[in-house]
Amino acid sequence: MKKLISLILAVCMLLSCVAALADVKETVTGAEALTHDELVALAQAETGNFVVYGNTSRIETAVTAFGELYNITVESSNLKDAEIYTKLEAEVNAGSGADMVMIQDGAQLTYAMEDGWLVNYVPASVKEFIGEDDLLPLVHQYINKLFIYNNLGEAVPAVKNVWELTDPAMKGNIIFKNPESEQVNMNFLIMLTGEEWSAKLAEAYKVWADKDIELGEYKNAGYKWIAEFLSNCTFGSSDTTIAEEVSQETAAGKIGLFVLSKLRSSSVLTDNLTVAQYDASANGYTVEPFAGFMYPMYALVSAAANRPYTAMLFIEYLMTAEGFGPWGKSIGAYSSNVQIPAKEGDLGIETWKATLVMEDPEYILDNGDEVRTFVSKYIQ
Amino acid sequence: MTASTAGTPPERSLARTGGKLRAWFSKPANVILLLFCIALIVLTLYPLFSMLSEMFLVHSPERSMVRKMGLKVGDFTTVHFDKLLFTLDDGIGGDFTTSNSWINFYQPLLNTLLVSVSASAIAILFGGVVAFLITRTNISCKKFISGVFVFPYIMPSWTLATFWQTFFKNTQIGLGTSNGIMASVFGVYMPEWFVYGPFPIALVLGLHYAPFAYILIGGILRNMDANLEEAATILKTGRSRIIRKITLPIVKPAMLSTLLLVFASSMSAYSVPVFLGNPVRYYTLSTKMKSMMDTYPGQAYIMVAVMIIFGVGILLINQKVTNSRKQFTTVTGKSGQVSLIDLNAGKRIIAAVLVIILLMVAVVPLVTFALESVIIKAGDYSLSNMTLDFWLGKGLTYLDQGDDTGILLSAKVWKALGYSLLLAVSCALIAGTCGVLIGYGVARRRGSRLANWVNNLSFFPYLMPSLAFGAIYLSMSSKLSVPLGLGVLILAGSIKYMPFATRSGVSAMLQLSGEIEEAAVITGVSWWKRMLRVIFPIQKSSFLSGYLLPMVSCMRELSLFVLLVPTSNTILTTMLMQYSEKGWAQFGNAINLLIIVVVLLINFVVNKLTGASIDKGVGG
Repeated sequence: MKKLISLILAVCMLLSCVAALADVKETVTGAEALTHDELVALAQAETGNFVVYGNTSRIETAVTAFGELYNITVESSNLKDAEIYTKLEAEVNAGSGADMVMIQDGAQLTYAMEDGWLVNYVPASVKEFIGEDDLLPLVHQYINKLFIYNNLGEAVPAVKNVWELTDPAMKGNIIFKNPESEQVNMNFLIMLTGEEWSAKLAEAYKVWADKDIELGEYKNAGYKWIAEFLSNCTFGSSDTTIAEEVSQETAAGKIGLFVLSKLRSSSVLTDNLTVAQYDASANGYTVEPFAGFMYPMYALVSAAANRPYTAMLFIEYLMTAEGFGPWGKSIGAYSSNVQIPAKEGDLGIETWKATLVMEDPEYILDNGDEVRTFVSKYIQ
Repeated sequence: MTASTAGTPPERSLARTGGKLRAWFSKPANVILLLFCIALIVLTLYPLFSMLSEMFLVHSPERSMVRKMGLKVGDFTTVHFDKLLFTLDDGIGGDFTTSNSWINFYQPLLNTLLVSVSASAIAILFGGVVAFLITRTNISCKKFISGVFVFPYIMPSWTLATFWQTFFKNTQIGLGTSNGIMASVFGVYMPEWFVYGPFPIALVLGLHYAPFAYILIGGILRNMDANLEEAATILKTGRSRIIRKITLPIVKPAMLSTLLLVFASSMSAYSVPVFLGNPVRYYTLSTKMKSMMDTYPGQAYIMVAVMIIFGVGILLINQKVTNSRKQFTTVTGKSGQVSLIDLNAGKRIIAAVLVIILLMVAVVPLVTFALESVIIKAGDYSLSNMTLDFWLGKGLTYLDQGDDTGILLSAKVWKALGYSLLLAVSCALIAGTCGVLIGYGVARRRGSRLANWVNNLSFFPYLMPSLAFGAIYLSMSSKLSVPLGLGVLILAGSIKYMPFATRSGVSAMLQLSGEIEEAAVITGVSWWKRMLRVIFPIQKSSFLSGYLLPMVSCMRELSLFVLLVPTSNTILTTMLMQYSEKGWAQFGNAINLLIIVVVLLINFVVNKLTGASIDKGVGG
């Protein structure tokens, strides 16, 4: 009898969760053709606080401005990717939680969407201004992590070929955030082991060393570069800290691979820093074969949303110039809406796509486990 | 009595059992233990088994790993054990020291054991010696030493670690980008082993947890019956022999409790190894566990289990000692005044050395935080680079540091402070009261199976790393469809920190001679009155430390609450984490200082209102 009751309760709970998830998905599907005014009316009719999770700090500014604009009470949490996914899983199971998330790491997102934790919504008002590749899941913006070096002293590490960073003389002079502590950094390394980037690295090696690459025990040039690059790295705790540290007057000879937008911080001595790709563009050369990497930040409705219409309205707002304002006011953030240009003084998104390593979630899912195991040997 | 009134044998047996049950339930200690046994099974054993079952399941992030095996999320598997424990040759090249198991498990385990044992030794030695000096000698500056000694524990553990790094870092080690105060002001470049790695990790953890030893050992030294030592003195026993043969055996249970608390805390410490280990690639089980929790949760839960196994091992040793006959009642109804050891000229010299150490450990970091919270660009301490904007500014768009309002004018900071206080006070009241009750039950039914069960169950949460404990409560709240909020935070905090109160309660009750309560029982005083009017007042300092320790711990807890808070701005520590992770050092330092000041103020207010404080367990 007890078992039967437990079973019935479990089935009821499961069904209620499934029903809640189906509700949000249906609501979003049904809202695709809504006009802006209709969406506003439906959002304002919803009750309770509007809760947003994001792994970008500037989401708080955006959601606060949004709340004031539409007279909606908002709450936001700036969390790491993994924390967002952990909370999402629990909240979706409970059938109640955050309404909307801004999140990176496309590989993990693939699973989250397969499991129905997140629902894609493309606002009709901006759809035509977003590239086909950025619609599913909806990319809000791209963020780049670049080779940026201290320009003081005699031995300025003005990198022109990434193999320079594998030189034993560079040991201890490269600062990177531990790839085990931020998945997008790991994704970048995983991408280098693929056919495209390992071939480019092999070519770049030939240019740098003036001979063909000798792989030894490594499977391809990507693995070799990762091993030798990581062996030379020291790991900083955050991109802001890395930016601050590399910019110090006492940090001559240091180079970092970190988020370009961190240069906006008042605590970074920007005069002491040179962005490798900026220098390359200004002086007509290229950093071989890449000047860093770039990854998307996605905007999606949570399947556990209590205010799905508000979530959709917020996504629509984020895709406008006003909603992108908190990011667009500084360099290093690039809207997927082609109507919103990069910040003046920065390079355009097309240039970055051509010079940086981009994520391919499918490749990462297929090869991530093997490369992670490999990487762990070189961060000891 | 006739045969009919006596009943048949089964009836008589039933009546006897009923009588026994009534007698059993008439004792408050039995009822308390039974209720807590049931509650703790639900609130600690269930999370424990729930957590352990995760070692055998496939999780969402592990899909890439098990894809080729045809497994899906939720399936049973032993692959996590194979990969973490038995992959000493992964076929990628290199010897076993580059294998997956060595890198991710065996090496971090050895590192963890090294720092945990060292930290425990440092904490017991430092805290125990200072407790002895305060309670048993005529050392100068007792009040100052006693008050300041608990500062490192009040401060979040990472603050001492960041201070260490800020003070000693230099361009020849670690990131090698900037000089700390030692190098830039004094021109002294400390070697890498001193600034990063096992030495500073053990030292910082040892200093952080030394107040445990100070409070627990000091509490006993202060309350112990002076007759024992006086009798030995009358019999012309030497000081060192008295210490070896009387004092040390009496404080042994407290030393073991300290060892248990510090070892378990050090094993699961996360922030300190991250700050002082990661820059030189020195990883512990907790730092590895945290990074693997994102990608390989199954392996991370095995690490959690290993930490728990070590904790349980020490728990069993502790239990064996507390159950042995070498256990002493130190508070009787006839205590006397302790005669203090005269340190002569040494009382000022030792005090001066201690004051300098404490200033370095407890006060200089606060000054550093204050300084770091007013400079705009890191490393530039000129007046032109200083501003109070991070405290009192408005419309600070020029800073681009996440916030545009100084923390004292920020509504969200005040709201978070209110939540933090409410959370800390609630957890303290619940955990503290449970600690007193469990202490009473365990002491009165000492040696019984039920008492042992409750005593051990109440300690279990301490053995579970905070982050994992938070994750389990998150999972439980979702399974039970309980929305995240203050209720879940209070429940998790109360359970997690109940061991402090329980240790304190059991320790205090074990010292209390049964004859004191018996005297009250004979005169017909009810149980409630006995507790409130007799038992609590006698051991007030120990009990209050059982309330204050959970409160202080909750005020500065991060890992436990990070997954349970509805938003990162809910409480001060998660807000601080957000600022720290983003590298917004000034706001972070300001909030850090705010947390410390608030806790000190609470300590001060409690002291003024009740005459007790965290350090009062020691007196002085």
